[in-house]
Amino acid sequence: MMRPARLLAGLTAALLLAGCSGGVDAPTLQLQVIDAAREAISARTNPAAERPPVTRAVLNTLDGTFMEVTRLREDQTAFLYPSYTTRDSGPGEIVVWRTDSNETVTVRGGVLIATRGLGGDLLSTEVLLAGSGLGPAAGGARIFQIFGGNNAQTTLTLACEVTDLGLETIEIIEVRHATRHLREQCQGSSGAITNDYWIDAGRGLIWQSRQWAGPHVGYLRLRQVTD
Amino acid sequence: MFQAFFNKTVSGVGPVFRSGPGRALVVVLLGGALAGGAALAQSQSGAGARRDAEPTLVPLPPPSLNFYGSPGIIDMPSAEMLPDGQFTTGVSSFGGQTRYNLTFQATPWMSATFRYNSIQDWNMGGFDTYYDRSFDLRFRLLRERKYIPEVTVGLQDFVGTGIYAGEYVVATKRFEVPGWGGRFGETGRLKLTAGIGWGRLGSYGSIGSSGDRPPYDPTSLGGEPAYDQWFRGPYAPFAGIEWQPNEKLGLKLEYSSDDYVTETQDASIFERRSPFNFGVEYQVSPRTRLGAYYMYGSQFGVNLQIQLNPKQPVTQMRIPAPQPIPQRPSQSSNPDAWTTAWTGNASVPAQLRDLLAPILLADGLVLESLTVRADTAELRFRNIQYLSFANAVGRAARAMSRVMPPSVETFRLVPLSGGMALSATTVRRSDLEALEFDGNATDALLAVTAFSDAPPLSADATPAADLYPDKSWSLSPYFSPAYFDPEQPFRVDVGLTLRGTYRPAPGWIISGAIRQRLAGNVDGGPPSNSVLPHVRTDQVEYAQYGTTLNNLFIARQWRPGRNLYARVTGGYLETMYGGLSTELLWKPVSSNLALGVEANYVKKRDFNQRLGFQDYEVFTGHGTAYYEFAGGYLAQLSVGQYLAGDVGATLSVDRTFDNGWMVGAFATKTNVSAEDFGEGSFDKGIRFRIPINWFLGKPSQQTFGTTIRPVQRDGGQMVSVPGRLYGQVRLAHRKALTNQWARVWE
Repeated sequence: MMRPARLLAGLTAALLLAGCSGGVDAPTLQLQVIDAAREAISARTNPAAERPPVTRAVLNTLDGTFMEVTRLREDQTAFLYPSYTTRDSGPGEIVVWRTDSNETVTVRGGVLIATRGLGGDLLSTEVLLAGSGLGPAAGGARIFQIFGGNNAQTTLTLACEVTDLGLETIEIIEVRHATRHLREQCQGSSGAITNDYWIDAGRGLIWQSRQWAGPHVGYLRLRQVTD
Repeated sequence: MFQAFFNKTVSGVGPVFRSGPGRALVVVLLGGALAGGAALAQSQSGAGARRDAEPTLVPLPPPSLNFYGSPGIIDMPSAEMLPDGQFTTGVSSFGGQTRYNLTFQATPWMSATFRYNSIQDWNMGGFDTYYDRSFDLRFRLLRERKYIPEVTVGLQDFVGTGIYAGEYVVATKRFEVPGWGGRFGETGRLKLTAGIGWGRLGSYGSIGSSGDRPPYDPTSLGGEPAYDQWFRGPYAPFAGIEWQPNEKLGLKLEYSSDDYVTETQDASIFERRSPFNFGVEYQVSPRTRLGAYYMYGSQFGVNLQIQLNPKQPVTQMRIPAPQPIPQRPSQSSNPDAWTTAWTGNASVPAQLRDLLAPILLADGLVLESLTVRADTAELRFRNIQYLSFANAVGRAARAMSRVMPPSVETFRLVPLSGGMALSATTVRRSDLEALEFDGNATDALLAVTAFSDAPPLSADATPAADLYPDKSWSLSPYFSPAYFDPEQPFRVDVGLTLRGTYRPAPGWIISGAIRQRLAGNVDGGPPSNSVLPHVRTDQVEYAQYGTTLNNLFIARQWRPGRNLYARVTGGYLETMYGGLSTELLWKPVSSNLALGVEANYVKKRDFNQRLGFQDYEVFTGHGTAYYEFAGGYLAQLSVGQYLAGDVGATLSVDRTFDNGWMVGAFATKTNVSAEDFGEGSFDKGIRFRIPINWFLGKPSQQTFGTTIRPVQRDGGQMVSVPGRLYGQVRLAHRKALTNQWARVWE
């Protein structure tokens, strides 16, 4: 019979030797677990370098439109580019904003309708838009389809009401924008949410918003940093 | 004309896709990622829904567990049921007795527990430390209402040798009470429990008796339900209070009706001075609860409780965002784009295939063949990445939308497994275009999607360019455990497996694995004492060798006809047996019923697991009916001849979850008598499988799990054959595809 110490040594050796694979087949269970462990360790030992603050001078060197998206619960920020724009039979222009690491945030008329790649994503949303096709309608139902852990979607239905908080000038990275601030409050049996929109009707865009992306992701702040 | 369309869509530039300008510069200056915070989804407390707080899907805290791993107080049970599907594990210990418990809430009204326990200083029946296994079942009789408590009946240790045998009827009422010390000022909870117990739970302070109860028999083989003793003999009341002043803390007090007769009188394991037990528990994390107790007036106890729910993954699955479905140019304004003139060009299918294959591979799909007509295209592919075939089908449909000429309106998506076409999902391209951003895209697409048996491969299909012969290999660690040897309850071998797989043509596979043990102690296990042919109990003999040929076989799979699947496998099938295995399965895509027959002729392999065989050969085979009930319950009934030449039937019931979790139990009864079978009387066990993506949060088809038999004997044993058909087929059929359809747009 083998001693526990020797058993432990064998275990450690097997793990360290780890292994490798090749060909079309997916890696084995053990290799996938080892890979995930390695990734977790390297993420912990080499945290991502702090990004220098983004200034208007930096933004001015760029060509194209960018949106800054922040996951407020985790305080994680990324800059997204519009990868796809389309219209369907519903109102409003649909824009898919994408990060370089393959996460997307999709808006319809500036109102968040879906996320992908974030984990526990917002699969789709039934929204009512204002007559102009920009920003939420004055009121009505908002139906969220949330991805659940059992490969199924969970439906959350909230009743929303929009309040016009009047004109407001906001600043986004050293540039001031004149906007109208709309506050959308939605309520249902499962809870309540508050979304805010700072809309520039003249330019036809929403400079900034704070919108709920489902119970797993929480609130996102969206700021268009270049137009 | 069509070439221009490909260029636009495939390279991702042009009017359809606008990619971020100056991308390299952007990455340097801005970049950033939104992912990485998935674990934080768990940081929310389960304080329940408050109308002014944002909606949460975090469930209410589950009932706390007792020393037997069931909802309860300390040593006594309560009437509470765990949340449906809850899978709990833990260890409790006091007075030299340790219990390892595994409980599964199989339905909302029924739970089952498997337990392994050790009792030190037993000094009876030749045991210094006594180890035993036991099963419990609990059924809810009444659901809690405003003025009615929850009422549950329980059978503890109802098979086996019965050291923990006891039955009870118990009632629990929960009350909301003012909170104390909570972070969010939430209310506290008070639970009052009272019950009547028989057997062990009727041994202290009995108030009456109902019939005669046979005494505990340490020499019994066990294994048969001991229904002749249920609810017989003296009965006694028990009671308890649990106060949870906030979400973390719990205080417990109980009056125990268990006199611990055998432990304190026949053996002197501890001294029982009082029927009162006291405890304090703390919720360390959302899944872990720890308790400390003062028990029976003389002992300190601890209880570690871990609760998982298959529907609540540790890490939310994060799949890289897909590319959107491009809108085709309108046919009226741009009729040229819709030309079908390309069908006259014989090289077009191969060009399309070459554009499609790399897009699919980036999403973990392997193109096997492509058939293109003017308005229809059929893609056959291998899914090597997604446990959910809905996910694979969705990615395949997106790839087709990006590559196919505009005139191709209908996509037929056919996943393959080992060359067999599993099903055909047919979608219209215009539906994909119209519904991607629909308010309920999942259900809207499902309503216009058809699932059917895949037709035979058409003669003009274009096969994959350089796929066959296809080689794969891997070198990875392995862990091979052995349980429940009274000398050492847990043994394990660890080492490396070198596996090679060669597929010369679709449907053919040649595969082998060599193992090198690096360390382990399975070789020190007990020798077989079986009176039957040693078809499974020689595992210790097989564990004596360090370098072994784990398996080496050649297999052919094909579709002999509509709804039919067939397999022939020959070679060294598993560590203990080699031979020939054949199987035929009938499973319509939309049917919940499947029927299969399997016939095997096998020889027992040499203990050294090289190329030789021993002098034992047997025909073993079964007819099997599979049925998928609503709610994920999968039942299988197999009838046939087993490895020891015994004849009988195996019934198994598994609860399958749409994310790949599976928990189940099985039992086999054959014409081997209980005496000849030995300890346990007949073969039975529990099994579970957990997908690793549930922990890792990224797509993978790999799962891990184990089968636990209370005791491994030789009766009712089957040969283990790689690549059985039902497991390959079920997940790509209608029920699984529609249940998991939420993945199709991911």
